[in-house]
Amino acid sequence: MVNNKKLTNALVLAVALVALPFLIRVINGNEYGVMIMCIMLVYIIAVSGLDILFGYSGQISLGHAAFFVIGAYTTGLLNIYFDTPLYITIPLAAVFSAIIGGIIAYPASKLKFHFLSLATIAFGELVFNFLYVSPGGFTKDYLGIQVIGISFLTDYTRWYFFLLFWVTLGLLAKHSLVNSRTGRAFIAIRENTHAANGMGINVHWNKILAFMISAFYTGLSGALFVHLIKYISPETAKQKQSVLFLTMLLFGGSGSMWGPIIGVVILEILLELIRPFQEYQMFFYGALLLVVIIALPGGIYGGIKDALVSYERRKMGKNLPKSGDDNA
Amino acid sequence: MIMLETNKVTINFGGLIAVNEVSIRVAEHKITALIGPNGAGKTTLFNCISGVYVPASGEVLLDGLHLEGKMGYQINKAGIARTYQVINLFWKMSVLENVLVGMHSRLKSNFWDCLLHTKKKREEEAEILTKAHEWLDFVGLSQYANAPAGSLSYGKQRLLEIIRGLASDPKVILLDEPAAGMNSGEKRDLDALLQRILKKGVTILIVEHDMKLIMGISDYIYVLCNGKLLAEGVVRDIQNNPEVVAAYLGGDD
Repeated sequence: MVNNKKLTNALVLAVALVALPFLIRVINGNEYGVMIMCIMLVYIIAVSGLDILFGYSGQISLGHAAFFVIGAYTTGLLNIYFDTPLYITIPLAAVFSAIIGGIIAYPASKLKFHFLSLATIAFGELVFNFLYVSPGGFTKDYLGIQVIGISFLTDYTRWYFFLLFWVTLGLLAKHSLVNSRTGRAFIAIRENTHAANGMGINVHWNKILAFMISAFYTGLSGALFVHLIKYISPETAKQKQSVLFLTMLLFGGSGSMWGPIIGVVILEILLELIRPFQEYQMFFYGALLLVVIIALPGGIYGGIKDALVSYERRKMGKNLPKSGDDNA
Repeated sequence: MIMLETNKVTINFGGLIAVNEVSIRVAEHKITALIGPNGAGKTTLFNCISGVYVPASGEVLLDGLHLEGKMGYQINKAGIARTYQVINLFWKMSVLENVLVGMHSRLKSNFWDCLLHTKKKREEEAEILTKAHEWLDFVGLSQYANAPAGSLSYGKQRLLEIIRGLASDPKVILLDEPAAGMNSGEKRDLDALLQRILKKGVTILIVEHDMKLIMGISDYIYVLCNGKLLAEGVVRDIQNNPEVVAAYLGGDD
């Protein structure tokens, strides 16, 4: 019965997702709305990746945009200099980002929370500076790079379905991962590092693994982004983009499947609405982060979940076993 | 047969010698107790066996296998599970998930199985879910399976820590003051629980301040005082040992 209900929900969701771009196109009269949806899909991959690192394994990264940019530049530069086809360069970009993630994580995963945030900020700045003034100018420095699109994705509606496919795949893999031995190890490390070690979990290795998976997702996201927009500059590696990813994650709700999706969609819509006041963007992120951290520590998703649980509880009366009251 | 032994283990912190050439032997399928006044070095010795501290000198052997200098996770894999004096659960995870984490080192799914949701992973997950429920049943925590571990009462958190340890299928389980925080009913049940753990073929090394419990269950007792071994023997020997009595009267109230 539960399975039937789940299947129906999934079908409704699928139909809605397929109908949505056409609907938006009709309402808007152009493809601008569909393009924004494409950017949302790309960001969902990046923020889900950040979630694996921060939400599940409990390691903060304030420089995650660096992986996004590494992914984008890897595929872009390979294509520009060696004319390598995109179906090779995009996966390669994600893998390369994961390798860099592993190299960063090897020392960084030994750091405590606030030191790790400083180290990741430094990493972001490092990547920015490297791309901004590169040896021999091979990254085209401050100009950024212009790249080709994917040939068979001739309009944003096609892009939408292409990205939807990869987002679905990425989220399914994330779902499988977090509900497995590896995912439980990540959560255990977040909850209690000392006990995780005592329970047979190789803490250092699992922290590196979380970093690598996270960098893979975010790198892939960047690689798709650059061919969608056809341009990227080193600016994207800076603090602003990293804070955007983190705000999306915290706002939506970290450590969950839906949190990153909710966070990306709502924040992208809000960003579109405040586009005329662009110089206040950082102020806006900061204010939003403060509100979420103080009022909704679990983000929107956490808030909804808590509300549902307490509703169920009220509906079922006091039948639920309540623990902790028998020998308090 | 000796399952676990320490051989002249010394641990020091800076100039302070916390454990001084302590040798203990834990017999297979028996309950061995480690007692002593506060600050005697009992938990420090536990931490050394379980890999939190590396001994300055001496050996730790599990079933003939050297453990000194190994990491905590390697020691768990080798077959030693433990509980903690200050309860160390995964607070926000459910009671059931805590037990599942306990099984970590016995699972065979690798990273790719986890990522790609392979048949091997699905079968293993189904299998360990059943096993985990059996462990909850073993200590009567089934009705709390989906509650966060942090919401359990103190005594039940102790029980959860014990089965989380047992879930790793250990040869030896180290129990660090399991009765602390339990009410009188739970303490009575603990007595029976330890016997049931033995029946599962797991050897027990226990640190405990509750003398009534210790004298009732222990097969062999080691007494630590100021980091040194003060006495050892069966219950009757320890109860009649004037040095032990003096150490307790002088140290504890």
